[in-house]
Amino acid sequence: MELGAPLDRVEGWDKVAGRARYSGEQRVAGVCHAVAVQAEIAHGEVLAVDATAARAVPGVIDVLAYGDAPALADTSDFELAVLQSPRVAYRGQIVAAVVAETLEIARHAQRLVRVTYDELGHDVELTPDHPGLYRPEKISPDDPPDTGEGEETPAEVSVDVTYETPAFHNNPMEPHATLAVWEGDHLTLYDSTQGAAAQRDALAALLGMPAERVRVVAHHVGGGFGSKGVPPRPNSVLAALCARRVGRPVKLAVTRQQMFSITGYRTPTFQRMRIGASKDGRIADIEHHVIEQTSTAREFAEQSGVVTRMMYAARARRTTHRLARLDVPVNSWMRAPGECPGMYALESAMDELAEACGIDPVELRIRNEPERDPDSGNPFSSRRLVECLRLGAERFGWSSRPEPGTRREGRHLVGMGVAAATYPAAARPAQALARVADDGSFTVSIAAADIGTGARTALTQIAADALGVPVARVRVEIGDSALPYGPLAGGSMGNASWGWAVLRACEGLRDGIARYGGAEPGLECRADTSGEIKNQEAYARHSFGAQFAEVRVDVDSGEIRVPRMLGVFAAGRVMNARLARSQFVGGMVMGLGMALTEESRMDREFGDYLNHDLAQYHVPVNADVLGIDAIWLDDPDPHANPLGGKGIGEIGIVGAAAAIGNAVHNATGHRFRRLPISPPSVIPHLP
Amino acid sequence: MRVNFTVNGVEQTADDVWEGESLLYVLRERVGLPGSKNACEQGECGSCTVYLDGTPVCACLVAAGQAEGREVRTVEGLADGERLDPIQEAFVECGAVQCGFCTPGLLVQAHDLIERVPEPSDPEIREALAGNLCRCTGYEKILDAVRLAAARKAEAGR
Amino acid sequence: MEFLRPTSWGEALAAKADAPGAVPIAGGTDVMVELNFDKHRPEALLDLNRVGELATWSEEEDGRLRVGAAVPYARIIGELGGRLPGLAMAARTVGSPQIRNRGTVGGNLGAASPAGDSHPPLLAADAEIEVESAARGTRMIPAGEFYTGVKRSALAPDELIRAFHVRPAEGPQQFSKIGTRNAMVIAVCSFGLALHPSDQRIGTGIGSAAPTPRRAFEAEEYAAGELDWAGRSPLDERVARRFGELAARAAAPIDDVRGTAEYRLHALSVMARRTLTWAWKDYLNGGATACA
Repeated sequence: MELGAPLDRVEGWDKVAGRARYSGEQRVAGVCHAVAVQAEIAHGEVLAVDATAARAVPGVIDVLAYGDAPALADTSDFELAVLQSPRVAYRGQIVAAVVAETLEIARHAQRLVRVTYDELGHDVELTPDHPGLYRPEKISPDDPPDTGEGEETPAEVSVDVTYETPAFHNNPMEPHATLAVWEGDHLTLYDSTQGAAAQRDALAALLGMPAERVRVVAHHVGGGFGSKGVPPRPNSVLAALCARRVGRPVKLAVTRQQMFSITGYRTPTFQRMRIGASKDGRIADIEHHVIEQTSTAREFAEQSGVVTRMMYAARARRTTHRLARLDVPVNSWMRAPGECPGMYALESAMDELAEACGIDPVELRIRNEPERDPDSGNPFSSRRLVECLRLGAERFGWSSRPEPGTRREGRHLVGMGVAAATYPAAARPAQALARVADDGSFTVSIAAADIGTGARTALTQIAADALGVPVARVRVEIGDSALPYGPLAGGSMGNASWGWAVLRACEGLRDGIARYGGAEPGLECRADTSGEIKNQEAYARHSFGAQFAEVRVDVDSGEIRVPRMLGVFAAGRVMNARLARSQFVGGMVMGLGMALTEESRMDREFGDYLNHDLAQYHVPVNADVLGIDAIWLDDPDPHANPLGGKGIGEIGIVGAAAAIGNAVHNATGHRFRRLPISPPSVIPHLP
Repeated sequence: MRVNFTVNGVEQTADDVWEGESLLYVLRERVGLPGSKNACEQGECGSCTVYLDGTPVCACLVAAGQAEGREVRTVEGLADGERLDPIQEAFVECGAVQCGFCTPGLLVQAHDLIERVPEPSDPEIREALAGNLCRCTGYEKILDAVRLAAARKAEAGR
Repeated sequence: MEFLRPTSWGEALAAKADAPGAVPIAGGTDVMVELNFDKHRPEALLDLNRVGELATWSEEEDGRLRVGAAVPYARIIGELGGRLPGLAMAARTVGSPQIRNRGTVGGNLGAASPAGDSHPPLLAADAEIEVESAARGTRMIPAGEFYTGVKRSALAPDELIRAFHVRPAEGPQQFSKIGTRNAMVIAVCSFGLALHPSDQRIGTGIGSAAPTPRRAFEAEEYAAGELDWAGRSPLDERVARRFGELAARAAAPIDDVRGTAEYRLHALSVMARRTLTWAWKDYLNGGATACA
């Protein structure tokens, strides 16, 4: 059995030896460099782009701008209609580009490009009572913005509170980079993307080309967390345009600072939670009202309220989403879009309800377990939240949790918090090809992406298992749109989707080998899971988990430390224990950042994110992460997919910030309802 | 300008180097060694850590001209041919590598720690790696890998 | 752009006189960030790495230490930690080990950022900065007069920082810094403190809470008068609190991305109270130094 074994990452050697080539690192002859010129206003129109001085710099090959750039075939998505219009929808938008022989020349000339604007007033600040709030037609991915059922009844205990979360930036370690190479009318794009095939389709449509003439390659991707999803980011489009224009390969590397305006981020939110319950903590009615921002350049409606639709039993339930369309950079996916901010609000409110009812927060959640999915009415494929909570409580020493604001150790207040976690478990259609190679080993091909998740390794294990051979005899090819179609790495659906197709292809090949009477080189089997996925039975498929945190709050400075965190997850069958653990823990640490250190601050005056670099946007460092642990239940879910896995990339972040926030309440006795919980916000409320 | 220096034991000459260019850029774009990563350009992430005359530094903060006549060792120079260094092996074994972008800098920094401090304590490991950001792993497995490599080195030295 | 590589101090001064727009670079931890971000392109870079004497330190006849401007933080910690404990504590909080291997006090002075970590201990310990130009020779500038504005200093365009002079600690010294995470932190604010028992005096330095690093004179005078230097009686908690309040009063912080003015004032009073408490405890125990 290879599946579940803690196999070493198959590309691990390449990565530790420094041999793994990321998108910007491919070696191509004759490459030149492009640098984007970004808008210095947040709203208005470009009147003129004067590139005279820039063009005069020796080594500058060309300057592209609106009116002087190759046309795109599809300009319906304004964010991606790069250089196709004079309109400026956000500060940092690409308004021109310089292509030069070297990066240094391009950067220098970029500063010489004079752009004049007709500046209109901008509106970049989300407020809970923004006059422009509207109801979107749909929320991501494809759900109704509002739901409501049941009649509100007078409650014995009620909680009615509003939580606020700031904008967060994904900040994968690898900044987005693209190398665009045209050969005749064929385009090859080495691109940092979470989905080579989907990226190819999107770019082909934008460029008005048949998909066969576009190839996207992404063998190694340095993290994404949603920011390298599809639709593409504008930098990929710009690279393709520049390369077409100059007739040479063009490299475009987005800088860390530029990422804050052009590669997406998580919307800030205001979330009002109303929960009415009986004295014994049974929820009668629950409401979750979400206010978020979106850019005028493209609507993205983050689905923060969906968790309240399915998480707990209630007689009446209402969720709404309202957006304000602002002159801000385009917000998009960031690890567990929807569930992550939504569960922060819901699980904080549950903690408040527990306190109001005088019931232990673990017990309160157990009392409100629904029998079926309250949203769809379907049975859950499996739902082991209660086991996660009980096991976690026992392992964490939950019974020693103090009364709020009562445990003082030296100059620290100490407290514990809990929160539940959930994330949908879905799969998308995919294709895979398994074949017997000339040397009798096996090659499995699929346009999957390994953005650090371990997909390449897990797929190797799945294939080896299905073929009944050791992993050493299987080679998995991914990261290239020329391979059989695979959906992108996102929504924790990657391994379920790709793995399913790999499983079927390998099962088919094994049958073929049996029929043929041997592993004849050239034997192959192609699988396509679209039919199976369409005919899946009606189940509500979700992963669940429980997060526990202990915090220490310095009573003098307000500094908060997290000495211990524990996550217990029921996330289906785990394909590789070693890789899975790192995914869970990594998610929890990103949640720790969300709770305590991360925040993108909008500059009201200029309309950009003020702290746009890693010196000022504080992702957690190792010193912030002390005793952190993740464990999981053995939980193969036969109703999820034939592999029984549910996806683990995102659930680790869900609930983590709520658990820490609830622990800060337990330590201090004060409820902080705005993230991040920073020393300045804590100080006024300490004894 | 021209810059002559030694990288991983090999003498290199880089021509047409811009005076304001970083050592990192020269390594990645001119010498053909992209193992050291460019992720922040301000010394905040540690992804570009290399040895400069035996001392770990952020290559993005060294001016190319400052490397003239000096010795640089990058992640590509840690292995002995095809034989990985124990710290590289430990990173793979412990699952300390995910997306791999922070890995090269972490390896050089951890390599230096283990060379200097035979049996580093946990606070020493944390302190040594304080300036290396990782967004994937949550650090836990990275610390495990350094502990493992240090223990093996100590064992081998006994 | 030119890349100038003087190999002696005289050559460096001459180069700076010829090209006053040349930006000195040693550790590169500030200068290279500006270049990488393309904030501006100076006419020349003046590499000081080859001026060997700048990376050395010595004991002077006046009893003070003279520390070359390009001695990296890592060596200040390793070689001078015992004699300059306050500066060494501050140096330990600078960036990461990689940054401390390259970054220098001279660079910190040259940048003159209010958030620079070495400023508070230099102020608290009465350091003097030795600067020199080819035309006018050497000037000694007391740290308190060196910082003239946000990222501005008393350094003239044709001058270079050669060294700083500071007396080895004759009493306990402390440094405290607050940031939003546990490493790699730009100071939200910081505070340095030095006890000078022989003249029964206290030195202070405030970082990141005013346009320039500055001393808290009123707090210094108050505590110096209240402390029982000779009798070595324990610190009265009320004195520590009052000292904290006065230290905060010396600051003129602003709200920015890292913190609010209000929080900075609070944090300063906490840090001043704590550092005085720790330092006085060390003094009572007869130790010259101790770590936080």
